[in-house]
Amino acid sequence: MATHDAPGGPTSSALYDAATDAFRRWRTGDDPALDDLVRIMSPVLWHVVRATGLDREATEDVVQNTWLTLVRSADSVRDAQAITRWLCTAARREAWRVSKLGTRTRPVEDDVLDARLPAQTSPESEVVAGDESALLWQALSRLPGRCQKLLRIVAWEPRPDYSSVADSLEMPIGSIGPTRRRCLDKLRVELGGAT
Amino acid sequence: MTVSDEELLRAIADLYADIDPTPADLVDGALARLAVQDLETEFELFTLVQPVDIQVGTRLDAEPETSATVALEFAGSAYRVLVRVSDTDDGVRRLDGWVVPALPMRVFLGPPGDAPADTRQSAYADREGRFEFPAAMRGEVRLWLLPQGARGEDASAPPFVTPPFLV
Repeated sequence: MATHDAPGGPTSSALYDAATDAFRRWRTGDDPALDDLVRIMSPVLWHVVRATGLDREATEDVVQNTWLTLVRSADSVRDAQAITRWLCTAARREAWRVSKLGTRTRPVEDDVLDARLPAQTSPESEVVAGDESALLWQALSRLPGRCQKLLRIVAWEPRPDYSSVADSLEMPIGSIGPTRRRCLDKLRVELGGAT
Repeated sequence: MTVSDEELLRAIADLYADIDPTPADLVDGALARLAVQDLETEFELFTLVQPVDIQVGTRLDAEPETSATVALEFAGSAYRVLVRVSDTDDGVRRLDGWVVPALPMRVFLGPPGDAPADTRQSAYADREGRFEFPAAMRGEVRLWLLPQGARGEDASAPPFVTPPFLV
């Protein structure tokens, strides 16, 4: 089941617009709009935080704390159109703080691999249903870990703030764009080779 | 066949949604945390301005005509709250409230004490300061009021809690 409802996917303008609109309504006194914003953005924050390498339990805490942070410091969001970026950056910052506490972080690719994808020959590998998903997963897992993380982030985060992504992946900000390009190219090569 | 970046990223997003799905209670957990956070705020205690024999509200058998509606008035440092509890035709207790002066509020109705936040009912006071619980929980309750207009308008209005009263 896809966890996002936006017709164009998580990075589509539909999701971005819905989040911006919900935030704007909330800030002008429509209190239930905050619930809408939580529903729209929590799945995005989930994948953004999981890409940092936190385990599932810690990620759930981080997502919840991110919402508390928003409520406490909503005044610092100057522009409603920056809300998705603000939330993702706050979530990454909180994830970084939690991971510095140690003990709760594992490399996400191993985590996912262990939990969800036993050996390819195992019958349980039907978690990835369908040939195309399986091929995509195999192609992705042949990419460097950094590529996997970056692609997961840019696949899920609407209009990401590259400086925040760069911090989280410990990469120079200027290299995010080119790395994104290279990772997608590598993925295409892997997909081509797999067919 | 060439796949666009957008199509490829969409497929990656779907793949991760499948292999690492968000927990079913992620959203509800976040909303519950926000509700609890609201109630962890320091509340100023209202005082009951208009003393009402709260037993009257429960003595429906003895005084059905006069006890059906109970009016209470609470006052804090920044505003007053009027509460009216009445019976509806179908035997449900209804609670109407007015905040004076009118302020947008989030209002919780729940048992006193440390009951879990999700046992509380919640409502919003509109721009006229009116709020309602069409089917209020019965028994000993109190109201928590959280000013919502704080965003740039009236950050000084403190949150309030009423003393316990009977519905």
